[in-house]
Amino acid sequence: MARATRSKAASGSAAAKSSAATAPAPSNKSRYTLPTTATNPPKIFILPRKATSEARVVSLPNPRYNKPTRYLVCPETGIYEFTRITAPKSTPRSWLIDTSVNAGTGAENEEKPDPKKPESDDSEFGAYVTKGAELYLATSIDPVFLLLPALVSDETARGEGGKKMFVESDDYFDQLSKASPHFSEILRWGSTRQLLESRMATVCDTVDAGGEPMYRFSKEKLLTEMLSKAKRMSENSLPPSMEEKFVAKALEAPVLGLKREDTTTTNSSDSTPKVEPAESQSSTEAAETMTSHASEASTAATSAADEEATVAASALKASMQASPEVTKLQRLRVAFSFICSSYIVPSQVSQLKQQLSEQKKLVDFSPLDDYLAQVAKLRQEAASSRSMGDYSRKHVLDEEELMDRAEKKRKMEEDEKRKKAGESRGVKNLKKVNTSGMKKMSDFFKKKT
Amino acid sequence: MLEARLEQAMLLKKVVDAIKDLVQDCNFDCNDSGIALQAMDNSHVALVSMMFKADAFSPYRCDRNIALGVNLVSLTKVLRAAQNDDVLTLKAEDAPDSLNLLLESVEADRISEYDLKLMDIDQEHLGIPETEYAATIQMPSAEFKRICTDLMAMSESVTIEANKDGIKFAANGDIGNGSVTLRSHSNVDKPAQNVDIELTEPVTLTFSLKYLVNFCKAQPLSERVRISLSSEVPLLVEYLLSNDKNSGHLRFYLAPKIGDEE
Repeated sequence: MARATRSKAASGSAAAKSSAATAPAPSNKSRYTLPTTATNPPKIFILPRKATSEARVVSLPNPRYNKPTRYLVCPETGIYEFTRITAPKSTPRSWLIDTSVNAGTGAENEEKPDPKKPESDDSEFGAYVTKGAELYLATSIDPVFLLLPALVSDETARGEGGKKMFVESDDYFDQLSKASPHFSEILRWGSTRQLLESRMATVCDTVDAGGEPMYRFSKEKLLTEMLSKAKRMSENSLPPSMEEKFVAKALEAPVLGLKREDTTTTNSSDSTPKVEPAESQSSTEAAETMTSHASEASTAATSAADEEATVAASALKASMQASPEVTKLQRLRVAFSFICSSYIVPSQVSQLKQQLSEQKKLVDFSPLDDYLAQVAKLRQEAASSRSMGDYSRKHVLDEEELMDRAEKKRKMEEDEKRKKAGESRGVKNLKKVNTSGMKKMSDFFKKKT
Repeated sequence: MLEARLEQAMLLKKVVDAIKDLVQDCNFDCNDSGIALQAMDNSHVALVSMMFKADAFSPYRCDRNIALGVNLVSLTKVLRAAQNDDVLTLKAEDAPDSLNLLLESVEADRISEYDLKLMDIDQEHLGIPETEYAATIQMPSAEFKRICTDLMAMSESVTIEANKDGIKFAANGDIGNGSVTLRSHSNVDKPAQNVDIELTEPVTLTFSLKYLVNFCKAQPLSERVRISLSSEVPLLVEYLLSNDKNSGHLRFYLAPKIGDEE
């Protein structure tokens, strides 16, 4: 499935900029195609405007899956990842590409890792129709993710006694170069090296050894970094599809018919930001309501404990409402696990999550956990009461069904009887014969046509 | 339209009696050469093939191919009304939903008429090739029946071993074992008692006795039975419908037991 939106907490501004150029309108800067061959049709890329013409597509190991993956590396502005957007299989689409429009201006004519082709080549294929309407969107990726595999790996910086040592950045880079030959190449480009080193410093303890900085991976720093990314991502609202599925759904309490009525009388009805499906709602609107709720809540309740108490009280009375604080925490948690599941190896993710739950001073999820526990309880109750309801409803139906069934049963029995009557004793006895080791007649004699 | 007059109603009764313990429902396929039947038991390890040639009837008329789907138990019930010397006439339309059976007793000037409801039976027909068997034994049908029922007391299966010394039926069971050996011999006074063994190569096969005993229910049809064996192919037990070869036959096929020494 194509992911329609992918928030980039690392560099929100770049993402915004590139999405401004998203529309396949004749915006000349954002059109890249590959040379046409039968096997390798042109592909459409949308690249950020700020990426310079020196940017190249290189193959680097994916930080999560450790498979070679293509990234766009610009010597000036950093590293970009590609997100492939496809039309759903049920509604096939295709691209109509007219390269003649900007044949002359295409200074950023870009191929896969191959060297540049002469521009004349570009205009040669003129209009082109591709079969699959795939769109590759380049958005900034924090280089720290690309460095992580080397930083956390056991091979480098393992001193005697299994203790992590401070090591020069070159050692980490060497390890990455082993996995991807392109890596050593991009290190030589412009400010890439400085960028990588500065990002490395954010998740590592550093010491200065004779003018040379040495790095040692720090779990705590990584956690803080990831958390700040998640916070930035969840600050306003998550993308609508994520918001709906992971925040609204998860926090939704089951509707218990009668109690629901009370809700509207005790609580002001607008305190339910997402009872209606959020799809029509624009994300900014949702964000606004959210912030207003947050401020309301903070005036009403002085401490988290108080807030929790009111939540609990109102929840019990009124088949549950997520408080703004709880919603925010849920959003943060979703954002955090999204980042983890997209860029970090699973083994590291479990460590991070454990750390996150242990370190209460960074962020305290307990109100959310309490709330979720309560929702789960309510759901269970609702489910059990519903199944009871089903049971009674079934009984009503049974009046007719029972008759039907009895009728059927009688018919079946009659059929059976008739069949039995038409079966001689010899045939019945033969059924008991052990025919193991005997082949079927059709194995010996061919069927007549 | 089918119209077939059979001088001996008992002949059809015997045939049906022989098949009904093996097969429940089956088609009697009528065409201008006669009435044929092919059916398998529920387990599909045995097959019965009957041929009533047109010559067995007088007169016989069948313009078009007709399949008479019959429940054999029901047919038995009707044929139970037949007496020894009755003449049977079978009648059916071209696409019949019932079979008309007319029983005439010449002596008693009595006519009984029955209509038997027919059914649609989906049956596959197997092509049975003419086979040269390694061993063929012709013997009194009563003798074969006796051997089978006797050995049935010992075991569920019988091993038939045919070699130049004769033919040996052996059963090995929980209470012990037993065997019957027959040698070729001819009785000048009573040729029906002859045991004729034709052997091209020795053969040993094992069969389910319950099935063989079932086949032996055809014994009243004929004084003689012909048993043909070859390794790896079904056993053939054949009874002629009457001593006249042109009347037709009733053949039973049974798959040998493989890899199951009992």
